[in-house]
Amino acid sequence: MLAAGASLIDVEFAVCSVLAQAGETAVLCGGSAAAFYVPTEYESLDVDFILHVGKARHTLDHALARVGYARVAEGFYEHPQLPFAIEFPIGPLAIGREEVTGWRTERRHHELLHVLTPTDVVRDRFLHYWAWKDETAFRAAVAVARAKPREVDLEAVRAWCEREMEADRTYDPEDVERLFAALDLTP
Amino acid sequence: MRDDLRPALFGSALRDRLLTRLALSQNGLHVRELARQIDSSPTAVHRAVIALEHAGIVVSRLVGNSRVVVLNRRWYGAVELRALLERLAAAYPEIRERAAHYRERPRRIGKPL
Repeated sequence: MLAAGASLIDVEFAVCSVLAQAGETAVLCGGSAAAFYVPTEYESLDVDFILHVGKARHTLDHALARVGYARVAEGFYEHPQLPFAIEFPIGPLAIGREEVTGWRTERRHHELLHVLTPTDVVRDRFLHYWAWKDETAFRAAVAVARAKPREVDLEAVRAWCEREMEADRTYDPEDVERLFAALDLTP
Repeated sequence: MRDDLRPALFGSALRDRLLTRLALSQNGLHVRELARQIDSSPTAVHRAVIALEHAGIVVSRLVGNSRVVVLNRRWYGAVELRALLERLAAAYPEIRERAAHYRERPRRIGKPL
């Protein structure tokens, strides 16, 4: 059971672990995945997990009740003493047009956490900016890329941007240039 | 044309009309305007938007003081969905007609009509 004072990372590990015990694979994504990699630069009160298996709702309810979370709306759970809300956006786990089939699994004592890789977090946050001009998401993408230079495959990010633009020509190529300029790389 | 003679691909004629109208929009529409454009009530449209938001197909964004609904371009099938809806618009000529005459961007002050 999570108690008052638990941190965001405590919540993420606890939730992912109880779901894993219930036979569900939940992958941390969105802004909360960025916050996982750059906790001092980016904060999130929403914890987004995409479910990979998709167990029945009562299975999730029962698992999350073990850590003190109760469902308050479809796919949305809150804890009476914690500010962090758990949300389960509808899957599949995808970034733009591409499904994500691999993720990182972190371990801590007896707990685990499935989370998007740093490269996918950069893609995901940049896409959020690209689609909605959300500057916070842009800064998160840049922060993760700078914090994890050896783990972020910028060539893969660039190739993916080109595939997205090929499929949807309304995406602005200047935004891509802005991203790589922010990372001191030429696009 | 009667709605029961149209496809209802997305579960109801209301959802089909709503999504078709959004596919014909560049910047999205307020719920009230969306309802007016598809001959429905704001309450029914609001309910349908919530369900479609939950499915990830549409998103609503705060623009100024009001909420604008748009197709979710981040959704993994967004390109294909838009193409399908643009085809589906053929079944809703009255919506297509209204969309063609609806000005989304504000006119510059003083610009002649």
